[in-house]
Amino acid sequence: MNSATIFNNLLLPGVFWPFLLACLMGFRTTRALALSLAPWAALPALAVSLLTPDTAYWHFPSMLFGSEIGLNATGQVFLLLTTVLWTVSGVYAGAYLRHSAQREAFHVFFLLSMTGNFVLIVSQDLFGFYLGFSLMSFAAYGLVVHDRSAAALRAGRIYMILTIAAELMLFVALLMAAGITGAMTFDALHTGLAMMDAVDRNTVFLLGIAGFGIKAGLFGLHVWLPLAHPVAPTPASAVLSGAMIKAGLLGWLQLLPLGIIALPGWGTAMIMLGLTAAFYGVAVGLTQRDPKTLLAYSSISQMGIMTMAVGVGMLMPDAWPLILPAIAFYALHHGLSKGALFLGAGFSRGNDYRQRRWIWFALWLPALALAGVPWTSGMLAKQLIKTHTLYAPAPWDTLLPLLLSVSALATALLMARLLYLMRPAAGSPAPAAGLIGPWVVLLSTVLLAPWWFATATGAPGMDSMPVRDGLWPVLATAAATWVVLRLGIFRTIRPLPAGDILALTTHVLRLTRLSHHFGSELARFSVGWGKLQTGILAYLTGLSMIVKERLQKMENYLSRWDVAMLCAIIIAVAMGMHAGFIGINIH
Amino acid sequence: MNGSVWLPLMVVASALLPGLIIFCLPEEKVRTRTVLNLAGAFSKIILTGWMLWGVYHGDRYEMRVAFLPELDLVLRADSLSLLFIALSSLLWLLTTIYAIGYLEGSPHRSRFFGFFSLCVTSTSGVALSGNLITFLVFYELLTLVTYPLVVHRGTEAARRAGQIYLVYTISGGTLLLLGTVWLYSITGTLEFRPQGILYSLDGAHYPALAAIFALLIAGLGVKAALVPLHGWLPEAMIAPAPVSALLHAVAVVKAGAYGIVRVVYDVFGIDFAATLGVTGPLAVLAAVTILYGSLRALAQDNLKRRLAYSTVSQVSYITLGVAIAGPVATIGGVVHLVHQGLMKITLFFCAGNLAETLGIHKVHEMNGAGRRMPWTMAAFTIGAFGMIGVPPVAGFVSKWYLGLGALEAEAHWVIFVLVGSSLLNAAYFLPVLHRVWFRDPPDNWPIERDFGDKETAWALLLPPVITALLALLAGLAASAWFSPLEWVKLIAQREFYHL
Repeated sequence: MNSATIFNNLLLPGVFWPFLLACLMGFRTTRALALSLAPWAALPALAVSLLTPDTAYWHFPSMLFGSEIGLNATGQVFLLLTTVLWTVSGVYAGAYLRHSAQREAFHVFFLLSMTGNFVLIVSQDLFGFYLGFSLMSFAAYGLVVHDRSAAALRAGRIYMILTIAAELMLFVALLMAAGITGAMTFDALHTGLAMMDAVDRNTVFLLGIAGFGIKAGLFGLHVWLPLAHPVAPTPASAVLSGAMIKAGLLGWLQLLPLGIIALPGWGTAMIMLGLTAAFYGVAVGLTQRDPKTLLAYSSISQMGIMTMAVGVGMLMPDAWPLILPAIAFYALHHGLSKGALFLGAGFSRGNDYRQRRWIWFALWLPALALAGVPWTSGMLAKQLIKTHTLYAPAPWDTLLPLLLSVSALATALLMARLLYLMRPAAGSPAPAAGLIGPWVVLLSTVLLAPWWFATATGAPGMDSMPVRDGLWPVLATAAATWVVLRLGIFRTIRPLPAGDILALTTHVLRLTRLSHHFGSELARFSVGWGKLQTGILAYLTGLSMIVKERLQKMENYLSRWDVAMLCAIIIAVAMGMHAGFIGINIH
Repeated sequence: MNGSVWLPLMVVASALLPGLIIFCLPEEKVRTRTVLNLAGAFSKIILTGWMLWGVYHGDRYEMRVAFLPELDLVLRADSLSLLFIALSSLLWLLTTIYAIGYLEGSPHRSRFFGFFSLCVTSTSGVALSGNLITFLVFYELLTLVTYPLVVHRGTEAARRAGQIYLVYTISGGTLLLLGTVWLYSITGTLEFRPQGILYSLDGAHYPALAAIFALLIAGLGVKAALVPLHGWLPEAMIAPAPVSALLHAVAVVKAGAYGIVRVVYDVFGIDFAATLGVTGPLAVLAAVTILYGSLRALAQDNLKRRLAYSTVSQVSYITLGVAIAGPVATIGGVVHLVHQGLMKITLFFCAGNLAETLGIHKVHEMNGAGRRMPWTMAAFTIGAFGMIGVPPVAGFVSKWYLGLGALEAEAHWVIFVLVGSSLLNAAYFLPVLHRVWFRDPPDNWPIERDFGDKETAWALLLPPVITALLALLAGLAASAWFSPLEWVKLIAQREFYHL
């Protein structure tokens, strides 16, 4: 038995190890043991992800409606990314929450989300994926509301509403896809979708793209993300924004028949949505003052680039085998860098001044990588995607490379803003021990990623990349930063409320409500956000009270047995007449 | 023939005999009563297992006793009746254990367990009925023996609930009787047969047959809690937790739903019912019930009332699956008979644990209960997610098959009903889960009983944990040979569609 076969068989134990630990947390006798192992829970899966060949495949006919477990080249990259991030964040969390009374609860939700995330990556059938996706999404609620602050609870509520929306959209999408094509695995589904009736197919696509788009922060559905990602404890933010967000992307890659048929309409839509998110995320992110909120907006922006790349793939099915690895690498690069930035942001509350200065300099690495500076993973990722956009149908072949360069500039600006916000300042609580180690490991993976990718896939290495392309956005940013610092513009810009469109919607709701009220109510227009929300809530509560009362009255009436029996008799007579009519028709 | 004639009777007797003996036992003979209860429950499980094995391999178990001229009482074990029997025997055992723990030290236990066993006896009879008249007899018996359980506490509220229960179910029984007699006057037989007994009848009878269908469904709909006949169910939640658990998961509500399955498939025959045009209205009625029940559940603060309205909604999945009238939807509906049973009994057990251990009856009192009773609330969480239809809990499997069936029958509106129901289920279960896991517990629980370092008594904790795990397993291993889904596929193949 060679080593590949052994690791083949270790994939599933690796995936379910965190779940086992979560269960062990439930027993008093094993709780302490499970808690001490919990930070390292993702390590077995990490080892396995590095060593499992991308041909591993199992069939479990008894599980769900027949489970297919396996890894392909894309799955391997996603598994590597998620296992690295979960391992590092787990170890970080162990130290971060060492003295917290809530750490047991945190780890249970952490382990369950982790299991879900792994399961959805290794599942090649619809149900396994949906199962992992649901487990991850629902368990992550516990991470979002961990602090129990008002902001966390609000973010949690919005997160939960959108999660349920996503669950239901995906339920219908998968139901239609599986019901009409008869496929149970994604592979079979692709060919089935290619031959499906256009109306049904578009429904599946719409629901699938939106359902996964909620997780991936697709423009318009991203509102929960800048609220939820920052309020979670730092290690949870890192996995939310680095690993779990990619589940939405992977969902698209698995569900859509990419590379089989051209989908010009959907491709164009995805490109436009992606580009909008890429710039919109930066624009709103620049106004933020909280580093973690800024990072969340940066995630929206970066996911926009990946969305755009998926759109390009929809336009050019022939080029898909080349675009797919590029997207996978972009996901890897973004996940590692974003994780490193989030974990770094978590330091800002601990550590002494000198340490912080070093940390701040170290933060430059992932920041520069995201900006696509030469010799970083970012440049490789951006170049890989940009290369393919050159062959896209007009006008995208000229537009996209240009816009990608501009977006690199935008990202560089955003990162400059981030580094400015996180600049080491005086005043220092006690240093937090044990946080640096995992962070340094993650930083080194940011460095190593391009090298690993080139070795693993035989993709072009760094050497072939045009350095000038990556350099000018950074130089331009440096100049811009200098100007901005001289002018002090940001002191006058008020941060847009996190959740941007959502806040706007709340505002509009409030306005429409006001318009129905007396003029004197207009005076309340100037109250703060908190009051606005209370107003909306009061309105909705009032509305639900009225509905409740009406229902209760109706119920009271129906609960009288004579009414109930009368209804039954009326129904009986009606059905009799109905059937009589049919009977006459037949004869 | 060997003993196989007697097997169905023995299944019924396995609950009847202990019940009759228990009535005669004095109150303080706790151990004898426990032994009798458990012996009955275990022997029923063994007999059921025996019949399952036999029926799977093609045996038939039938017992026929002359009752009226040309009308026999028939007990017959086919694959559909065994599904219901298997569910009831398993849950009877767990509920018995639970009830022993729950009622420890309370008065009138002999009376309670006596009627409890009779309730299971009539449920077994309902399940094994081979014709409509046998069904009717056991169905009425079920009404009568459940009444003492509903009013067990003897309070004013309990008696009022019992009265409402009786008025509803006896009226329903009357309608059912009326329909049965009318049907007999036309057909001259009441036998349950695959494809039904009506397809050869003359078209002149169609209006009468439709009216009979409506009468039968109205009679069964009372127990199956179809809107607007559901009024008794939320009232009956006043009963002790084990009774509610059995009532909602197996006995009364399921007897109604099971009856609807029998009437549609084995009396009318699904094709004939579809030709008659009665399945469409039935599907609409089921859909209305599903949404209405969930809407009402939203507004309830009393936990058991919320669960009761949830039952109104969920049991109609069964009716909906039957009424969509296609093989796949039928699988989804009939398998929900088992799935809903497992999930709902878990939820009621947990509600009982909260009431018994901490004195919690209201949703708003549940803050932080997860920290005090983690296992109970973990079981509750699984049940709740199952109701919403989140995989891998069993509810997802039902919902998936109902959805596939709706696509197959091109009844696309059903998908909206399913999504709406999931949404409403999420809306009334997730806030509860939020309270349980994410709010701080109060300084004092309403009435806390001390169980040392355990969260509650073993007899109370074990049943919900087991049923929750079973609900999980039924979904996770949905395609395994032992899963309810596979058995229901067998039923659909053998009894309904001859695929």
